[in-house]
Amino acid sequence: MKTLADLKKIREKAQEDLKLRSGNTRVKIVVGMGTSGIAMGAREVMKTFLEEIATRNLTDVLVTQTGEKGLSSIEPVVDVIEEGKDSITYGNMTPDKVKKVIAEHIVNGRIVSDYVVQTGN
Amino acid sequence: MQDISLHLLDIIENSVRAQAKCVKVRVLQNVVKNRLRIIVEDDGTGMDSHTLQKAQDPFYTSKEERVKKVGLGIPLFKQNAEQVGGAFRMASEPGFGTVLTVDFPLDHIDRMPLGNLKDTLLNSIIGHPDLDFFIHLLYRDKVMELCFHFDTKAIREELGDIPLTYPDVIEYIDQSLYEGIQKTNMEDV
Repeated sequence: MKTLADLKKIREKAQEDLKLRSGNTRVKIVVGMGTSGIAMGAREVMKTFLEEIATRNLTDVLVTQTGEKGLSSIEPVVDVIEEGKDSITYGNMTPDKVKKVIAEHIVNGRIVSDYVVQTGN
Repeated sequence: MQDISLHLLDIIENSVRAQAKCVKVRVLQNVVKNRLRIIVEDDGTGMDSHTLQKAQDPFYTSKEERVKKVGLGIPLFKQNAEQVGGAFRMASEPGFGTVLTVDFPLDHIDRMPLGNLKDTLLNSIIGHPDLDFFIHLLYRDKVMELCFHFDTKAIREELGDIPLTYPDVIEYIDQSLYEGIQKTNMEDV
């Protein structure tokens, strides 16, 4: 059973971690979680991002969600935002594509151009 | 939408857009009353009676910037509940927030399944780490009552300056929700 005491351990570990890398977020991932995105599988896409981040212990990656963006025909849509770079929008995402984006783009810095639907802004 | 949890995810997103600070989600499974009740309560901007009425219309959206004026979230949820003899109610007060209550008859053969409640809650919590979420799951039948409470405020206090989005914290929340769902028989509903 998970208890609040478990959080104390996490906190101690996390504080060490954050000290080492001065606590900055390197990449922000935004999953479109509007009605059409959800209907097309955005929840599973977001869940896969969370799982990958937990298993790979990517402490400098932040996953968040946003509402409808008007890209209904290519949902689920995901933005990858990095400081000082053009933002990349991936479309028609699936859990398998998420794993590839994590391995290629987020970890190794190579954009998965096959899935890109928009760049910039 | 294939299940109630996906609708729930969608509805929580409405609360977020209404600038809620705290979202309360209750899932109440009452076997005695043959009722599965979902309540989402927020402290967002709220709606006046006109907007509240309009929100149930599929050709209405509160998003001004939108070219296509379609908002299907609420109408679809309402339709899916009413289709099986359930009920859909919304109450709101400008400046105070909105409460949405949706009832489904538990044993109706065409009722949509509750679905993956854990992933819906986990996504909402991690996707909006600055919001407070209060989750209450309750199961009741003739002989017992099982309940589960989850409150991000308590977690935040324990974590101090460590964000909810930290990998180990995500795992912790995922596991806690899993245990709560098991405990209250909310799986395969």
